[in-house]
Amino acid sequence: MNMGGAIRAIISFLIFVVLHYTLRPLLGWRAPMDFLILALLLAAVRVRPSTAAVIGFILGLISDSLAPDALGAGALAMTTVGFGASYLKAVFFADNLVLNAFFFFLGKWVFDIMYFIVEQRVHGVELVQQLLLWSPLSAAVTAAVGVLLLFIMRPLLEPSPA
Amino acid sequence: MARAIRSNTRLDLIVLATCAVLALAARALPNTMRDPVATTMRRSFLAPLVLLQERSEKGRQSLLAADAKQARLDSLSLDAMKAGSLEAENERLRKVIGLGSRIRWGFVPAEALHGRGIRDETTVILSAGSRAGVSRLSPVIAPEGLVGVVDQVDPTMSHAMLWTHPDFRVSAMSPDGTAFGIAQAHLTGATGGYLIELRGVPFRATLKPGALIVSSGWGGVWPRGIPVGTVLQEIKTTEGWARTYLLRPAVNPADVYSVMILRRDRLAKGLEGVWQSVAQADAAAQRIVVSGDSAARTAALAEAAARRAVLDSIARANGTPALGATDSTGAPRVVAPRPVPVRRPPPPDTTPRDTTRRDTIPRRDTISQRPGMTR
Repeated sequence: MNMGGAIRAIISFLIFVVLHYTLRPLLGWRAPMDFLILALLLAAVRVRPSTAAVIGFILGLISDSLAPDALGAGALAMTTVGFGASYLKAVFFADNLVLNAFFFFLGKWVFDIMYFIVEQRVHGVELVQQLLLWSPLSAAVTAAVGVLLLFIMRPLLEPSPA
Repeated sequence: MARAIRSNTRLDLIVLATCAVLALAARALPNTMRDPVATTMRRSFLAPLVLLQERSEKGRQSLLAADAKQARLDSLSLDAMKAGSLEAENERLRKVIGLGSRIRWGFVPAEALHGRGIRDETTVILSAGSRAGVSRLSPVIAPEGLVGVVDQVDPTMSHAMLWTHPDFRVSAMSPDGTAFGIAQAHLTGATGGYLIELRGVPFRATLKPGALIVSSGWGGVWPRGIPVGTVLQEIKTTEGWARTYLLRPAVNPADVYSVMILRRDRLAKGLEGVWQSVAQADAAAQRIVVSGDSAARTAALAEAAARRAVLDSIARANGTPALGATDSTGAPRVVAPRPVPVRRPPPPDTTPRDTTRRDTIPRRDTISQRPGMTR
Protein backbone atom coordinates (compact mmCIF):
# COMPACT_ATOMS: atom_id res chain seq x y z
CA MET A 1 0.00 0.00 0.00
CA ASN A 2 1.52 3.28 -1.06
CA MET A 3 1.41 6.53 0.91
CA GLY A 4 -1.76 7.84 -0.77
CA GLY A 5 -3.61 4.64 -0.11
CA ALA A 6 -2.48 4.66 3.50
CA ILE A 7 -3.68 8.22 4.01
CA ARG A 8 -7.03 7.42 2.43
CA ALA A 9 -7.37 4.35 4.60
CA ILE A 10 -6.56 6.35 7.74
CA ILE A 11 -9.13 8.99 6.75
CA SER A 12 -11.74 6.31 6.19
CA PHE A 13 -10.85 4.74 9.51
CA LEU A 14 -11.28 8.05 11.32
CA ILE A 15 -14.58 8.70 9.55
CA PHE A 16 -15.92 5.37 10.81
CA VAL A 17 -14.73 6.08 14.34
CA VAL A 18 -16.39 9.49 14.33
CA LEU A 19 -19.59 7.98 12.93
CA HIS A 20 -19.59 5.51 15.79
CA TYR A 21 -19.74 8.32 18.32
CA THR A 22 -22.13 10.58 16.41
CA LEU A 23 -24.54 8.71 14.15
CA ARG A 24 -24.90 5.64 16.34
CA PRO A 25 -26.06 7.45 19.52
CA LEU A 26 -28.16 9.79 17.39
CA LEU A 27 -30.12 6.89 15.92
CA GLY A 28 -30.29 4.97 19.20
CA TRP A 29 -31.53 1.72 17.66
CA ARG A 30 -32.08 -1.37 19.78
CA ALA A 31 -29.87 -3.35 17.38
CA PRO A 32 -27.27 -0.71 16.56
CA MET A 33 -24.66 -0.78 13.85
CA ASP A 34 -21.05 -0.92 15.00
CA PHE A 35 -18.84 1.46 13.08
CA LEU A 36 -15.80 0.53 15.18
CA ILE A 37 -16.02 -3.05 13.89
CA LEU A 38 -16.34 -1.74 10.34
CA ALA A 39 -13.30 0.48 10.86
CA LEU A 40 -11.36 -2.41 12.31
CA LEU A 41 -12.28 -4.79 9.49
CA LEU A 42 -11.46 -2.23 6.80
CA ALA A 43 -8.11 -1.57 8.44
CA ALA A 44 -7.39 -5.23 9.14
CA VAL A 45 -7.54 -6.29 5.52
CA ARG A 46 -4.87 -3.74 4.69
CA VAL A 47 -2.31 -4.56 7.37
CA ARG A 48 -0.53 -7.51 8.86
CA PRO A 49 -2.35 -9.64 11.46
CA SER A 50 -0.15 -8.36 14.25
CA THR A 51 -0.90 -4.77 13.34
CA ALA A 52 -4.58 -5.58 13.05
CA ALA A 53 -4.44 -7.15 16.51
CA VAL A 54 -2.89 -3.97 17.95
CA ILE A 55 -5.47 -1.79 16.19
CA GLY A 56 -8.22 -4.01 17.54
CA PHE A 57 -6.77 -3.85 21.03
CA ILE A 58 -6.65 -0.06 20.94
CA LEU A 59 -10.15 0.26 19.52
CA GLY A 60 -11.42 -2.18 22.13
CA LEU A 61 -9.86 -0.18 24.92
CA ILE A 62 -11.43 2.97 23.50
CA SER A 63 -14.87 1.43 23.48
CA ASP A 64 -14.33 -0.12 26.90
CA SER A 65 -13.32 3.16 28.44
CA LEU A 66 -16.90 4.37 28.06
CA ALA A 67 -18.12 1.27 29.91
CA PRO A 68 -15.55 0.72 32.65
CA ASP A 69 -17.28 -2.38 34.00
CA ALA A 70 -16.44 -4.15 30.73
CA LEU A 71 -12.86 -2.88 30.50
CA GLY A 72 -10.85 -5.51 28.65
CA ALA A 73 -13.77 -7.43 27.17
CA GLY A 74 -14.04 -5.25 24.10
CA ALA A 75 -10.26 -5.13 23.76
CA LEU A 76 -9.98 -8.92 23.77
CA ALA A 77 -12.86 -9.35 21.32
CA MET A 78 -11.58 -6.72 18.91
CA THR A 79 -8.04 -8.06 19.08
CA THR A 80 -9.33 -11.46 18.06
CA VAL A 81 -11.61 -10.11 15.34
CA GLY A 82 -8.89 -7.88 13.91
CA PHE A 83 -6.32 -10.66 13.87
CA GLY A 84 -8.77 -13.11 12.33
CA ALA A 85 -9.94 -10.64 9.69
CA SER A 86 -6.39 -9.86 8.67
CA TYR A 87 -5.49 -13.53 8.64
CA LEU A 88 -8.48 -14.45 6.48
CA LYS A 89 -8.45 -11.39 4.24
CA ALA A 90 -7.46 -13.36 1.18
CA VAL A 91 -10.57 -15.46 1.63
CA PHE A 92 -13.15 -12.84 2.38
CA PHE A 93 -12.25 -9.42 1.15
CA ALA A 94 -12.78 -9.95 -2.51
CA ASP A 95 -14.43 -7.39 -4.70
CA ASN A 96 -17.85 -8.78 -3.97
CA LEU A 97 -20.41 -6.89 -1.96
CA VAL A 98 -22.16 -10.01 -0.72
CA LEU A 99 -18.92 -11.48 0.54
CA ASN A 100 -18.04 -8.18 2.15
CA ALA A 101 -21.44 -8.08 3.83
CA PHE A 102 -20.93 -11.58 5.16
CA PHE A 103 -17.46 -10.54 6.34
CA PHE A 104 -18.92 -7.62 8.27
CA PHE A 105 -21.75 -9.75 9.63
CA LEU A 106 -19.41 -12.44 10.83
CA GLY A 107 -16.98 -9.95 12.34
CA LYS A 108 -19.65 -8.19 14.33
CA TRP A 109 -21.30 -11.39 15.49
CA VAL A 110 -18.03 -12.94 16.63
CA PHE A 111 -17.19 -9.74 18.43
CA ASP A 112 -20.52 -9.76 20.24
CA ILE A 113 -20.20 -13.39 21.21
CA MET A 114 -16.76 -12.88 22.70
CA TYR A 115 -17.68 -9.57 24.27
CA PHE A 116 -20.78 -10.78 26.09
CA ILE A 117 -19.14 -13.97 27.22
CA VAL A 118 -16.08 -12.21 28.58
CA GLU A 119 -18.05 -9.34 30.03
CA GLN A 120 -20.19 -11.78 32.12
CA ARG A 121 -22.86 -9.15 32.70
CA VAL A 122 -25.65 -11.04 30.94
CA HIS A 123 -26.48 -14.61 31.90
CA GLY A 124 -28.84 -17.45 31.07
CA VAL A 125 -31.77 -16.91 28.76
CA GLU A 126 -30.98 -13.25 28.42
CA LEU A 127 -27.52 -14.11 27.14
CA VAL A 128 -28.93 -16.60 24.66
CA GLN A 129 -31.46 -14.04 23.50
CA GLN A 130 -28.74 -11.45 23.16
CA LEU A 131 -26.40 -13.73 21.21
CA LEU A 132 -29.02 -15.35 18.99
CA LEU A 133 -31.39 -12.48 18.41
CA TRP A 134 -30.03 -9.04 19.06
CA SER A 135 -26.44 -9.72 18.09
CA PRO A 136 -27.33 -11.19 14.68
CA LEU A 137 -29.71 -8.29 14.12
CA SER A 138 -27.02 -5.83 15.06
CA ALA A 139 -24.55 -7.71 12.86
CA ALA A 140 -26.97 -7.60 9.96
CA VAL A 141 -27.48 -3.86 10.39
CA THR A 142 -23.72 -3.40 10.64
CA ALA A 143 -23.21 -5.43 7.48
CA ALA A 144 -25.82 -3.44 5.60
CA VAL A 145 -24.39 -0.13 6.71
CA GLY A 146 -20.87 -1.37 5.96
CA VAL A 147 -21.79 -2.36 2.42
CA LEU A 148 -23.53 0.97 1.92
CA LEU A 149 -20.49 2.86 3.16
CA LEU A 150 -18.21 0.77 1.01
CA PHE A 151 -20.33 1.70 -1.96
CA ILE A 152 -20.31 5.37 -1.03
CA MET A 153 -16.63 5.52 -0.10
CA ARG A 154 -15.38 3.35 -2.93
CA PRO A 155 -13.27 6.16 -4.45
CA LEU A 156 -11.61 6.61 -1.08
CA LEU A 157 -11.03 2.93 -0.37
CA GLU A 158 -9.92 1.67 -3.78
CA PRO A 159 -6.19 1.41 -4.32
CA SER A 160 -4.83 4.21 -6.47
CA PRO A 161 -3.82 3.25 -10.02
CA ALA A 162 -0.17 2.56 -10.41
CA MET B 1 11.48 -17.32 2.13
CA ALA B 2 9.63 -19.99 4.07
CA ARG B 3 11.64 -19.07 7.18
CA ALA B 4 10.65 -15.43 6.81
CA ILE B 5 7.02 -16.36 6.55
CA ARG B 6 7.26 -18.57 9.60
CA SER B 7 9.03 -15.76 11.48
CA ASN B 8 6.32 -13.27 10.57
CA THR B 9 3.62 -15.69 11.60
CA ARG B 10 5.36 -16.23 14.91
CA LEU B 11 5.59 -12.48 15.40
CA ASP B 12 1.92 -12.09 14.64
CA LEU B 13 1.06 -14.77 17.15
CA ILE B 14 3.30 -13.17 19.78
CA VAL B 15 1.63 -9.80 19.25
CA LEU B 16 -1.80 -11.41 19.36
CA ALA B 17 -0.94 -13.22 22.55
CA THR B 18 0.43 -10.05 24.09
CA CYS B 19 -2.70 -8.06 23.22
CA ALA B 20 -4.92 -10.85 24.50
CA VAL B 21 -3.01 -11.07 27.76
CA LEU B 22 -3.19 -7.30 28.22
CA ALA B 23 -6.91 -7.36 27.52
CA LEU B 24 -7.46 -10.14 30.00
CA ALA B 25 -5.33 -8.29 32.51
CA ALA B 26 -7.46 -5.21 32.03
CA ARG B 27 -10.51 -7.34 32.47
CA ALA B 28 -9.12 -8.82 35.66
CA LEU B 29 -8.33 -5.45 37.21
CA PRO B 30 -10.28 -4.66 40.38
CA ASN B 31 -12.83 -1.90 40.19
CA THR B 32 -10.65 0.46 42.20
CA MET B 33 -8.01 0.31 39.46
CA ARG B 34 -10.33 -0.13 36.47
CA ASP B 35 -12.21 3.11 36.99
CA PRO B 36 -9.15 5.37 37.19
CA VAL B 37 -7.77 3.84 34.00
CA ALA B 38 -11.04 4.36 32.12
CA THR B 39 -11.45 7.84 33.56
CA THR B 40 -7.93 8.83 32.53
CA MET B 41 -8.61 7.66 28.98
CA ARG B 42 -11.93 9.48 28.81
CA ARG B 43 -10.44 12.71 30.09
CA SER B 44 -7.40 12.66 27.81
CA PHE B 45 -7.38 11.47 24.21
CA LEU B 46 -10.95 10.23 24.25
CA ALA B 47 -12.40 13.56 25.39
CA PRO B 48 -13.34 14.71 21.87
CA LEU B 49 -15.12 11.41 21.16
CA VAL B 50 -16.95 11.56 24.48
CA LEU B 51 -18.01 15.10 23.68
CA LEU B 52 -19.27 14.01 20.26
CA GLN B 53 -21.25 11.17 21.78
CA GLU B 54 -22.71 13.42 24.44
CA ARG B 55 -23.89 15.92 21.87
CA SER B 56 -25.34 13.22 19.68
CA GLU B 57 -27.32 11.78 22.56
CA LYS B 58 -28.60 15.22 23.44
CA GLY B 59 -29.60 15.68 19.83
CA ARG B 60 -31.46 12.40 19.89
CA GLN B 61 -33.26 13.36 23.10
CA SER B 62 -34.22 16.66 21.51
CA LEU B 63 -35.56 14.84 18.46
CA LEU B 64 -37.56 12.47 20.65
CA ALA B 65 -38.91 15.32 22.74
CA ALA B 66 -39.72 17.46 19.73
CA ASP B 67 -43.02 15.69 19.04
CA ALA B 68 -44.13 15.95 22.63
CA LYS B 69 -43.10 19.60 22.77
CA GLN B 70 -44.92 20.30 19.55
CA ALA B 71 -48.03 18.57 20.85
CA ARG B 72 -47.83 20.59 24.05
CA LEU B 73 -47.33 23.77 22.06
CA ASP B 74 -50.33 22.94 19.90
CA SER B 75 -52.45 22.34 22.97
CA LEU B 76 -51.38 25.63 24.48
CA SER B 77 -52.09 27.45 21.24
CA LEU B 78 -55.50 25.86 21.07
CA ASP B 79 -56.23 26.80 24.67
CA ALA B 80 -55.07 30.34 24.01
CA MET B 81 -57.34 30.55 21.00
CA LYS B 82 -60.27 29.28 23.03
CA ALA B 83 -59.54 31.59 25.93
CA GLY B 84 -60.62 34.71 24.08
CA SER B 85 -63.96 33.28 23.03
CA LEU B 86 -64.51 31.81 26.50
CA GLU B 87 -63.85 35.17 28.09
CA ALA B 88 -66.23 36.84 25.69
CA GLU B 89 -68.86 34.18 26.34
CA ASN B 90 -68.40 34.55 30.10
CA GLU B 91 -68.83 38.28 29.75
CA ARG B 92 -72.00 37.83 27.72
CA LEU B 93 -73.44 35.31 30.16
CA ARG B 94 -72.53 37.53 33.09
CA LYS B 95 -74.42 40.37 31.48
CA VAL B 96 -77.39 38.14 30.78
CA ILE B 97 -77.41 37.01 34.39
CA GLY B 98 -77.22 40.64 35.48
CA LEU B 99 -80.14 41.51 33.24
CA GLY B 100 -82.12 38.58 34.60
CA SER B 101 -81.52 39.68 38.17
CA ARG B 102 -82.76 43.17 37.30
CA ILE B 103 -85.85 42.00 35.44
CA ARG B 104 -86.43 39.46 38.25
CA TRP B 105 -89.40 37.65 36.71
CA GLY B 106 -91.44 37.19 33.60
CA PHE B 107 -88.71 36.35 31.13
CA VAL B 108 -87.50 33.27 29.31
CA PRO B 109 -83.78 32.88 28.67
CA ALA B 110 -82.98 31.52 25.24
CA GLU B 111 -80.12 30.86 22.90
CA ALA B 112 -80.13 32.68 19.58
CA LEU B 113 -79.28 30.35 16.72
CA HIS B 114 -78.05 32.27 13.72
CA GLY B 115 -78.82 30.87 10.33
CA ARG B 116 -76.50 31.06 7.41
CA GLY B 117 -79.14 31.68 4.80
CA ILE B 118 -80.08 34.74 2.81
CA ARG B 119 -82.03 36.37 5.62
CA ASP B 120 -79.76 35.41 8.46
CA GLU B 121 -79.01 39.00 9.34
CA THR B 122 -82.64 39.91 9.91
CA THR B 123 -84.09 36.86 11.64
CA VAL B 124 -82.96 34.41 14.27
CA ILE B 125 -84.15 31.13 15.76
CA LEU B 126 -84.64 31.10 19.53
CA SER B 127 -84.31 27.96 21.61
CA ALA B 128 -87.50 28.56 23.63
CA GLY B 129 -91.08 28.19 22.47
CA SER B 130 -94.65 28.27 23.63
CA ARG B 131 -94.06 25.59 26.25
CA ALA B 132 -91.74 28.01 28.02
CA GLY B 133 -94.30 30.81 27.85
CA VAL B 134 -93.18 32.51 24.68
CA SER B 135 -95.95 34.01 22.59
CA ARG B 136 -96.09 35.94 19.35
CA LEU B 137 -94.91 39.55 19.60
CA SER B 138 -92.93 38.81 22.73
CA PRO B 139 -90.04 41.28 22.92
CA VAL B 140 -86.53 39.88 22.66
CA ILE B 141 -83.88 41.78 24.59
CA ALA B 142 -80.22 41.47 25.44
CA PRO B 143 -78.21 43.02 28.25
CA GLU B 144 -77.29 45.84 25.90
CA GLY B 145 -80.84 46.59 24.82
CA LEU B 146 -83.38 45.84 22.14
CA VAL B 147 -82.88 42.83 19.88
CA GLY B 148 -86.16 42.10 18.11
CA VAL B 149 -89.57 40.57 18.47
CA VAL B 150 -90.92 37.02 18.21
CA ASP B 151 -92.99 36.54 15.07
CA GLN B 152 -93.52 32.76 14.99
CA VAL B 153 -93.82 30.40 17.90
CA ASP B 154 -93.40 26.63 17.99
CA PRO B 155 -93.70 24.48 21.09
CA THR B 156 -89.98 24.19 21.60
CA MET B 157 -88.54 27.04 19.61
CA SER B 158 -89.50 30.34 18.12
CA HIS B 159 -88.58 32.62 15.28
CA ALA B 160 -87.71 36.22 15.94
CA MET B 161 -87.44 39.26 13.74
CA LEU B 162 -84.34 41.29 14.54
CA TRP B 163 -84.34 45.06 14.46
CA THR B 164 -82.44 44.84 11.19
CA HIS B 165 -85.55 43.45 9.50
CA PRO B 166 -87.12 45.89 7.01
CA ASP B 167 -90.54 45.45 8.64
CA PHE B 168 -89.35 46.10 12.16
CA ARG B 169 -90.54 49.24 13.90
CA VAL B 170 -90.40 50.42 17.48
CA SER B 171 -91.61 53.62 19.05
CA ALA B 172 -88.62 55.32 20.67
CA MET B 173 -87.83 58.46 22.60
CA SER B 174 -85.15 60.25 24.46
CA PRO B 175 -85.07 59.28 28.16
CA ASP B 176 -86.34 62.70 29.23
CA GLY B 177 -89.31 62.38 26.90
CA THR B 178 -88.57 65.47 24.86
CA ALA B 179 -88.20 63.68 21.55
CA PHE B 180 -90.22 60.84 20.13
CA GLY B 181 -89.93 58.95 16.90
CA ILE B 182 -90.15 55.63 15.16
CA ALA B 183 -86.98 53.57 15.05
CA GLN B 184 -86.30 51.26 12.14
CA ALA B 185 -83.34 49.81 10.33
CA HIS B 186 -81.36 52.23 8.22
CA LEU B 187 -81.37 50.22 5.02
CA THR B 188 -79.82 52.72 2.66
CA GLY B 189 -76.22 53.78 2.48
CA ALA B 190 -72.96 51.95 2.90
CA THR B 191 -73.83 50.60 6.33
CA GLY B 192 -76.35 48.24 4.75
CA GLY B 193 -78.86 47.95 7.58
CA TYR B 194 -76.48 47.95 10.54
CA LEU B 195 -77.58 51.35 11.78
CA ILE B 196 -80.97 52.57 12.99
CA GLU B 197 -83.02 55.52 11.83
CA LEU B 198 -85.14 57.46 14.28
CA ARG B 199 -87.78 58.98 12.03
CA GLY B 200 -90.56 61.43 12.69
CA VAL B 201 -88.87 63.32 15.50
CA PRO B 202 -90.65 66.67 15.96
CA PHE B 203 -88.76 69.50 14.37
CA ARG B 204 -88.53 71.39 17.65
CA ALA B 205 -86.80 68.49 19.36
CA THR B 206 -83.08 68.30 18.76
CA LEU B 207 -80.91 65.44 19.85
CA LYS B 208 -77.18 65.75 20.41
CA PRO B 209 -74.78 63.10 19.20
CA GLY B 210 -74.31 60.47 21.89
CA ALA B 211 -77.78 60.88 23.33
CA LEU B 212 -79.44 57.65 24.38
CA ILE B 213 -82.67 56.57 22.73
CA VAL B 214 -84.97 54.11 24.46
CA SER B 215 -88.26 52.46 23.67
CA SER B 216 -91.22 54.64 24.55
CA GLY B 217 -93.66 51.94 25.56
CA TRP B 218 -96.27 53.07 23.11
CA GLY B 219 -97.91 50.44 20.98
CA GLY B 220 -98.23 47.71 23.56
CA VAL B 221 -95.44 45.51 22.27
CA TRP B 222 -92.38 47.06 23.81
CA PRO B 223 -92.18 48.18 27.39
CA ARG B 224 -90.74 51.59 28.10
CA GLY B 225 -87.06 52.16 28.71
CA ILE B 226 -85.26 49.54 26.65
CA PRO B 227 -82.14 51.04 25.02
CA VAL B 228 -82.46 51.21 21.26
CA GLY B 229 -79.27 53.06 20.39
CA THR B 230 -77.35 56.29 20.64
CA VAL B 231 -77.58 59.26 18.33
CA LEU B 232 -74.84 59.55 15.74
CA GLN B 233 -76.05 62.45 13.65
CA GLU B 234 -79.06 63.97 12.01
CA ILE B 235 -79.64 62.95 8.45
CA LYS B 236 -81.43 64.93 5.81
CA THR B 237 -84.64 63.50 4.43
CA THR B 238 -87.43 64.78 2.23
CA GLU B 239 -89.68 65.19 5.23
CA GLY B 240 -89.52 68.85 6.06
CA TRP B 241 -91.76 68.68 9.08
CA ALA B 242 -89.77 66.25 11.15
CA ARG B 243 -86.21 65.30 11.85
CA THR B 244 -84.55 61.99 11.24
CA TYR B 245 -81.58 60.84 13.25
CA LEU B 246 -79.10 58.08 12.62
CA LEU B 247 -78.53 55.87 15.66
CA ARG B 248 -75.77 53.48 16.57
CA PRO B 249 -77.66 50.36 17.67
CA ALA B 250 -77.37 49.20 21.24
CA VAL B 251 -77.19 45.59 20.07
CA ASN B 252 -75.20 44.25 17.17
CA PRO B 253 -77.25 41.41 15.72
CA ALA B 254 -74.18 39.38 14.85
CA ASP B 255 -73.15 39.34 18.53
CA VAL B 256 -76.46 38.10 19.86
CA TYR B 257 -76.18 34.60 21.30
CA SER B 258 -77.97 34.65 24.65
CA VAL B 259 -81.18 36.65 24.91
CA MET B 260 -84.19 37.15 27.14
CA ILE B 261 -87.72 36.80 25.82
CA LEU B 262 -90.18 38.87 27.84
CA ARG B 263 -93.50 37.23 28.60
CA ARG B 264 -96.68 39.15 27.97
CA ASP B 265 -97.60 39.31 31.64
CA ARG B 266 -94.27 40.97 32.38
CA LEU B 267 -94.89 43.73 29.88
CA ALA B 268 -97.79 45.08 31.86
CA LYS B 269 -95.51 45.70 34.85
CA GLY B 270 -93.02 47.63 32.77
CA LEU B 271 -89.24 47.61 32.86
CA GLU B 272 -88.69 50.94 34.52
CA GLY B 273 -85.27 51.21 36.06
CA VAL B 274 -83.80 48.06 34.55
CA TRP B 275 -81.42 49.98 32.33
CA GLN B 276 -81.74 53.47 33.76
CA SER B 277 -80.64 52.32 37.20
CA VAL B 278 -77.09 52.47 36.00
CA ALA B 279 -77.26 56.19 35.56
CA GLN B 280 -79.19 56.55 38.77
CA ALA B 281 -76.64 54.56 40.69
CA ASP B 282 -73.86 56.74 39.37
CA ALA B 283 -75.74 59.90 40.22
CA ALA B 284 -76.52 58.59 43.69
CA ALA B 285 -72.90 57.77 44.31
CA GLN B 286 -71.86 61.25 43.22
CA ARG B 287 -74.49 62.82 45.41
CA ILE B 288 -73.22 60.88 48.41
CA VAL B 289 -69.69 62.05 47.78
CA VAL B 290 -70.72 65.68 47.29
CA SER B 291 -72.99 65.75 50.32
CA GLY B 292 -70.23 64.20 52.40
CA ASP B 293 -67.88 66.97 51.37
CA SER B 294 -70.50 69.63 52.10
CA ALA B 295 -71.22 68.28 55.57
CA ALA B 296 -67.54 68.21 56.46
CA ARG B 297 -67.04 71.73 55.21
CA THR B 298 -70.06 72.99 57.14
CA ALA B 299 -68.84 71.36 60.34
CA ALA B 300 -65.40 72.91 59.93
CA LEU B 301 -66.85 76.39 59.43
CA ALA B 302 -69.11 76.06 62.45
CA GLU B 303 -66.18 74.95 64.63
CA ALA B 304 -64.09 77.90 63.45
CA ALA B 305 -66.89 80.34 64.21
CA ALA B 306 -67.39 78.95 67.70
CA ARG B 307 -63.64 79.11 68.40
CA ARG B 308 -63.59 82.72 67.27
CA ALA B 309 -66.54 83.58 69.54
CA VAL B 310 -64.77 82.05 72.55
CA LEU B 311 -61.61 84.00 71.84
CA ASP B 312 -63.59 87.21 71.50
CA SER B 313 -65.32 86.58 74.83
CA ILE B 314 -61.97 86.03 76.55
CA ALA B 315 -60.57 89.18 75.02
CA ARG B 316 -63.58 91.14 76.10
CA ALA B 317 -63.25 89.91 79.66
CA ASN B 318 -59.61 90.99 79.72
CA GLY B 319 -60.49 94.45 78.46
CA THR B 320 -58.69 94.01 75.22
CA PRO B 321 -60.29 94.43 71.90
CA ALA B 322 -61.85 91.47 70.47
CA LEU B 323 -59.75 89.73 67.96
CA GLY B 324 -60.55 90.99 64.59
CA ALA B 325 -63.63 92.75 65.89
CA THR B 326 -62.52 96.31 66.72
CA ASP B 327 -63.95 99.46 65.30
CA SER B 328 -62.60 103.03 65.20
CA THR B 329 -64.18 104.04 68.52
CA GLY B 330 -62.42 101.38 70.44
CA ALA B 331 -65.62 100.06 71.88
CA PRO B 332 -65.91 96.43 71.91
CA ARG B 333 -68.24 95.13 69.40
CA VAL B 334 -70.32 92.16 69.79
CA VAL B 335 -69.31 89.84 67.16
CA ALA B 336 -71.81 87.28 66.33
CA PRO B 337 -70.64 84.13 64.78
CA ARG B 338 -70.72 84.38 61.13
CA PRO B 339 -73.58 82.69 59.59
CA VAL B 340 -72.46 79.44 58.29
CA PRO B 341 -72.50 79.59 54.56
CA VAL B 342 -74.64 76.82 53.36
CA ARG B 343 -73.10 75.26 50.38
CA ARG B 344 -75.67 74.37 47.89
CA PRO B 345 -75.48 70.89 46.72
CA PRO B 346 -74.86 70.71 43.05
CA PRO B 347 -77.96 70.62 40.95
CA PRO B 348 -79.15 67.17 40.18
CA ASP B 349 -77.81 65.87 36.98
CA THR B 350 -80.78 65.98 34.71
CA THR B 351 -78.79 65.62 31.59
CA PRO B 352 -79.52 62.36 29.91
CA ARG B 353 -76.58 60.21 30.67
CA ASP B 354 -75.18 57.57 28.49
CA THR B 355 -74.18 55.42 31.38
CA THR B 356 -76.38 52.55 30.31
CA ARG B 357 -73.60 51.52 28.11
CA ARG B 358 -72.47 47.96 28.25
CA ASP B 359 -69.33 48.62 30.21
CA THR B 360 -71.16 50.20 33.14
CA ILE B 361 -73.75 47.55 33.71
CA PRO B 362 -71.71 45.35 36.08
CA ARG B 363 -70.85 48.41 38.19
CA ARG B 364 -74.51 49.10 38.65
CA ASP B 365 -75.07 45.66 40.05
CA THR B 366 -72.51 46.07 42.77
CA ILE B 367 -73.68 49.50 43.86
CA SER B 368 -77.35 48.74 43.88
CA GLN B 369 -76.86 45.85 46.27
CA ARG B 370 -75.64 48.09 49.08
CA PRO B 371 -78.18 48.41 51.88
CA GLY B 372 -79.90 51.70 52.05
CA MET B 373 -79.02 52.67 48.54
CA THR B 374 -81.78 54.40 46.72
CA ARG B 375 -82.11 54.01 43.06
